[in-house]
Amino acid sequence: MMSSFLFRAMDARAGIFLAIMAAVIVLVPAGNLLMPEGSTFHVPNYAVTLMGKYLTYALLALAVDLVWGYCGILSLGHAAFFALGGYAMGMYLMRQIGTRGVYGDPILPDFMVFLNWGELPWYWYGFDMFWFAALMVLLVPGVLAFVFGWFAFRSRVTGVYLSIITQALTYALLLAFFRNDMGFGGNNGLTDFKDILGFDIQADTTRAGLFAASGLALVVCFLICRAITRSKLGKVLVAVRDAESRTRFLGYRVEHYKLFVWTLSAMMAGIAGALYVPQVGIINPGEFAPANSIEVVIWVAVGGRGTLVGAVLGAVLVNFAKTWFTAALPDIWLFALGGLFVVVTLFLPKGIVGTLSQGWTALRQRKVSEDFEAGSDQPPSQAPQSPASPANVSPKKSASTVPADADPQPAE
Amino acid sequence: MSLMRSFLLLFSLAASLLAAPALAQSDPETLRPLINELANGKYSETEKQIGALVATGDPQVAPALEALSDGDLYVRKADGEVFIIKKAGKAYALIDPLTLETAGEAAKREMDKIKVNNKLRRVIRSALGSLTLMAPDPTVRMAAAEAVFKAKDPDSIEALDAAIAAEADDGVRKKMEEARAAAVLNSDMDEAAKLQAVSTLGTMGNRDALSLLIAVQSSSEGALRDAATSEITKIEKSIAAWDAAQNIWYGLSLGSVLLLAAIGLAITFGVMGVINMAHGEMVMIGAYVTFVVQEFIRSSAPGLFEYSLFIALPLAFLTSGLVGVAIERGVIRWLYGRPLETLLATWGISLVLQQAVRSIFGPTNREVGNPDWMSGAFEIGQMTITYNRMWIIVFAMLVFAGLMLVLKKTPFGLYTRAVTQNRRMAASMGIRTPWIDAFTFGLGSGIAGIAGVALSQIDNVSPNLGQGYIIDSFMVVVFGGVGNLWGTLVGAMTLGVVNKFLEPYAGAVLGKIFVLVFIILFIQKRPRGLFALKGRAVEA
Amino acid sequence: MKSAFTKLALAGLMASTMIGGASAQEDTIKVGILHSLSGTMAISETTLKDAMLMLIEEQNKKGGLLGKKLEAVVVDPASDWPLFAEKARELIEVNGVDAVFGCWTSVSRKSVLPVFEELNSLLFYPVQYEGEESQRNVFYTGAAPNQQAIPAVDYLMNEEGVERWVLAGTDYVYPRTTNKILEAYLKSKGVAEEDIMINYTPFGHSDWQTIVSDIKTFGSAGKKTAVVSTINGDANVPFYKELGNAGIKAEDIPVVAFSVGEEELAGLDTAPLVGHLAAWNYFQSADTDANAEFIEAWHAYIGDDKRVTNDPMEAHFIGFNMWVEAVKKAGSTDPDAVIDAIVGVSVPNLTGGYSAMMPNHHITKPVLIGEIQEDGQFETVWETSGLVVGDAWSDYLDGSKDLISDWRAPLSCGNFNTATGKCGGSGS
Repeated sequence: MMSSFLFRAMDARAGIFLAIMAAVIVLVPAGNLLMPEGSTFHVPNYAVTLMGKYLTYALLALAVDLVWGYCGILSLGHAAFFALGGYAMGMYLMRQIGTRGVYGDPILPDFMVFLNWGELPWYWYGFDMFWFAALMVLLVPGVLAFVFGWFAFRSRVTGVYLSIITQALTYALLLAFFRNDMGFGGNNGLTDFKDILGFDIQADTTRAGLFAASGLALVVCFLICRAITRSKLGKVLVAVRDAESRTRFLGYRVEHYKLFVWTLSAMMAGIAGALYVPQVGIINPGEFAPANSIEVVIWVAVGGRGTLVGAVLGAVLVNFAKTWFTAALPDIWLFALGGLFVVVTLFLPKGIVGTLSQGWTALRQRKVSEDFEAGSDQPPSQAPQSPASPANVSPKKSASTVPADADPQPAE
Repeated sequence: MSLMRSFLLLFSLAASLLAAPALAQSDPETLRPLINELANGKYSETEKQIGALVATGDPQVAPALEALSDGDLYVRKADGEVFIIKKAGKAYALIDPLTLETAGEAAKREMDKIKVNNKLRRVIRSALGSLTLMAPDPTVRMAAAEAVFKAKDPDSIEALDAAIAAEADDGVRKKMEEARAAAVLNSDMDEAAKLQAVSTLGTMGNRDALSLLIAVQSSSEGALRDAATSEITKIEKSIAAWDAAQNIWYGLSLGSVLLLAAIGLAITFGVMGVINMAHGEMVMIGAYVTFVVQEFIRSSAPGLFEYSLFIALPLAFLTSGLVGVAIERGVIRWLYGRPLETLLATWGISLVLQQAVRSIFGPTNREVGNPDWMSGAFEIGQMTITYNRMWIIVFAMLVFAGLMLVLKKTPFGLYTRAVTQNRRMAASMGIRTPWIDAFTFGLGSGIAGIAGVALSQIDNVSPNLGQGYIIDSFMVVVFGGVGNLWGTLVGAMTLGVVNKFLEPYAGAVLGKIFVLVFIILFIQKRPRGLFALKGRAVEA
Repeated sequence: MKSAFTKLALAGLMASTMIGGASAQEDTIKVGILHSLSGTMAISETTLKDAMLMLIEEQNKKGGLLGKKLEAVVVDPASDWPLFAEKARELIEVNGVDAVFGCWTSVSRKSVLPVFEELNSLLFYPVQYEGEESQRNVFYTGAAPNQQAIPAVDYLMNEEGVERWVLAGTDYVYPRTTNKILEAYLKSKGVAEEDIMINYTPFGHSDWQTIVSDIKTFGSAGKKTAVVSTINGDANVPFYKELGNAGIKAEDIPVVAFSVGEEELAGLDTAPLVGHLAAWNYFQSADTDANAEFIEAWHAYIGDDKRVTNDPMEAHFIGFNMWVEAVKKAGSTDPDAVIDAIVGVSVPNLTGGYSAMMPNHHITKPVLIGEIQEDGQFETVWETSGLVVGDAWSDYLDGSKDLISDWRAPLSCGNFNTATGKCGGSGS
């Protein structure tokens, strides 16, 4: 009975999410393109790019939630996959510049011209074709994740060890991409893009299109994640998260399950990166910074780990807070942001969505049990709980009375 | 500080010169016009004037030249008289450059500094060298010999011969002979003398000798060239061996820096399981405590500067430790059993601490000085060992030993280990686990604080200080094996040495990348680090 | 009906607009300040934010501009390069600023360039940089390589007789380009390949033992050796500390740095470093009335008379005054009018001369070589006899030697190729 409620809750939640996303995807570009400037319904360009960026971050957070929330793999290196996808897209955009670069070289990007590169390095071949770049957006992060995961999961590297080596991975990539000899533009990265698929990258319509594409990608990936987590596969993943050894003893090849979601998640992060780059207009090694990956994890935690919707909400909320704080309180915004993280972990241990749904579930249960008491003498299957509001969730008590698949426990 | 030092040196030099047997002592007043000429014109003319002064061969001009090199020689605008000055509050105390008697005071505006650049300093150094070869103080003679060695001036051979004949100190004589050899090779003396010089340099056997010999090799022929070549091969061989030793030393030094940064984390993360992202900020707090202590000493007790680090150590330990206890009591104790949540909360705390320091001390670097015993270097064979690196290695080892002692030999250590291994059992035995948690976290943070005192000696003291070490620290702890201090020690040293051996071949950036890849691969082989814990605690 | 999402974002925009200072209505001219106040670059950039606030305050005391008060809008791009682009857009679109003073690193400038181009606004960039760029909406008030690097090398060659060179830098575009230019320049002066050693290190490099010992080895080959350092920011302090401790004296192996100014030295005991060099267009020790006035105003504004001034601050001082003059000349803050008016505007600099805006949007500057003193200041040991015009496109690089830049009509081109006679680089 419990699970059927949850089923409904999930359904309702997903339904609301999809409805909101559909509205956003349609209304924001429409408001930007169709409404005259000055109208109250006009969405300024600034807001479109900003929200487009949030959507790509949300997709990245979704990818992290899939592996962390449902499979217990805490990745402190997901920004690496995001950045790799971004670089693949950036290389395509660089090749599209053609003779419009400052030196007018038809083949070589500007940074190669003034650093006296004779010819295009082999790994830049093919990126003048969109289909190839799009393939690479998926393949590069995917293959890297597959190889990394193949070794790590087979060796049963788990817990903090895994987290730290994912951090080592992104840190190593950061240093590598900083090197100018790598041929990716060093610290400056790739920038000064002109157009994408023949459309001017600065045009309002392109921007609106990219926004819509980001929204669509988010919806599609959300549906994929949801399909996975609600299938039998998803149950096994949760089992891996909660008791890896036990699942292994039951006969499941744990490393295969992990490797599958890990690779899938990396590819999603790659897509997010590829959509991010044309909207912000630059990709540089700073995206590999370990701090970025930690921030992604924080978005998920703020929104609610293991809830998918929560990851999206967390990413949007935290970034919105950051945008707002950096303009409103430029000198002291780190206090506000740092304080926010502390407060959320202390008082909303399940994140915003997790806490809300916990409260909601409890409320429903009480209502049901009241119904039972009123209607029949059969006792409810589970004892009524007091609604757990944020204030009285004592962080010391783990809320273990809530079914495990609704509210994840830390894997370690 | 160093101004004081140079003054002391100057006066001892002057005193020794006046006491020295007069070479060409003459009336100061005949020299004065020459000295006053120093104030005229550009660097090239000043250089000529220095030459003229040296040509007198009179040691009385040395103090003026020394002061010129230190930037303490000024000219009085009113009458063009040149004086050595000493800062005395808002005014300058004037000292006569020849008699070295005080000559009143002058306001800053009345005086103009005689400008000096590197080239002039070099000229002065070699000039002073040949003037002071016969000084009674052996350290002055040693410095003179070194200056002459660097100058390689054939004209100084005569003075050197005289000085070598009169020299009583073996070390100084050896240096003078080397200086003579260098000068001989630069002169047009006959081949026998030059061959003799080559062999002198060969026994000297260091890089300076090598560079001179290479010059000989490329400019000569026949026997001289062969002799130079054979000496060069000899020296290169010995230098290669020393280089390896030097590299190990660099590695150990880097390793001890890593150890210092990581060892506090090994306690909070390794022993307590708290993923403490604010660890770097604890190091930063320690460094800022050092800064505050030094500021206080500078303003109220300048004499204590040499001891500033010893004063800073306990204060840094206490400050960081207290901040650590506050964090534990305020935030972390609510999060035990949820290590990943500690990551998020401490990340937030680290942002707040960074910004707090930025608001209080400003965003720019603050100056933390090195006491004299932390400055400079000495040589063992062909190896240069800097004092600050050496003391940091020693310090890291002491901290490690001290920490082991605390954990293994004190009741507090016993309780800590008990709580780490089995919290419930420990609680049942009457250990107040919350207090142990707080103190252990405080201990880890305090250790990070004293690491900050050491790191302030080699790195920036800025709000970003901690950020630079946090990732490396985690790598060290995980590589060594969580929960094992010996692992941290071995891990830090291994990574340091590996890094330093890769650096000459791969460059600093690639070297670091290789080390990271090495860690990733190593963890595949040993998923729980170098020294894995065994038993039940592992799965907890 | 709009979604909650959009409303949320719009609410945020309105909020930021309000706090940005829309309350002051339309009778102010807004000036954007885009410098990192947190993250790795805060260490350098925060000072520039304060300097700008001081300049704006002083201008307001003089009665503002065009009869209106100036109003500063400060945002924090947090050393995050994509965030620079976002904040630039916010300043221009949401806050409606008329000019932006900001950026430090090359990558932050590259990140905001398309935004300024698209929204047609003005950026004044105050830091020495690698050149190879000239954009209509950007004014480069820092030094181009020919205003810093080449004179410094000339000085070492002529005055110190240096024959062997170590080019040590942080691995990013400014050192890479500068070293490329210097390498070509040195070779054109007859320096052999084996007498040049090039070394790159990562950002924030803190363990300099190996490199310092390499420099020592390289310098003991019998020829006079110097180090040309383009080491950036934080890495300098540990570098100089190691250098001092290893006993490398300026008389033996001088180090000339292009990124070390008074501010960087403030974190160091400079006694062991006396004689090492830096090349800039301004030193705090410059002995002029304008400079004394500026330093006094700065100390009064910041409330701490130990704070130093440095070259990028002077660049902002010049850039801000140029903008003020150009606005007066144009009679409006309209970007197009200002871009037309500013070329040829000449304002006093702090070293006793005048700096003028050139048609390539770079300015004329004197070049000073200074030696580090015990008090953390520099003493000028050499300076160019006249002013040097900033060269956007280096003559020593293959890709750019034929390019010139002139934003005046009729050419109006940032990368005109004199060989092909076309605007738009060297290609077809």
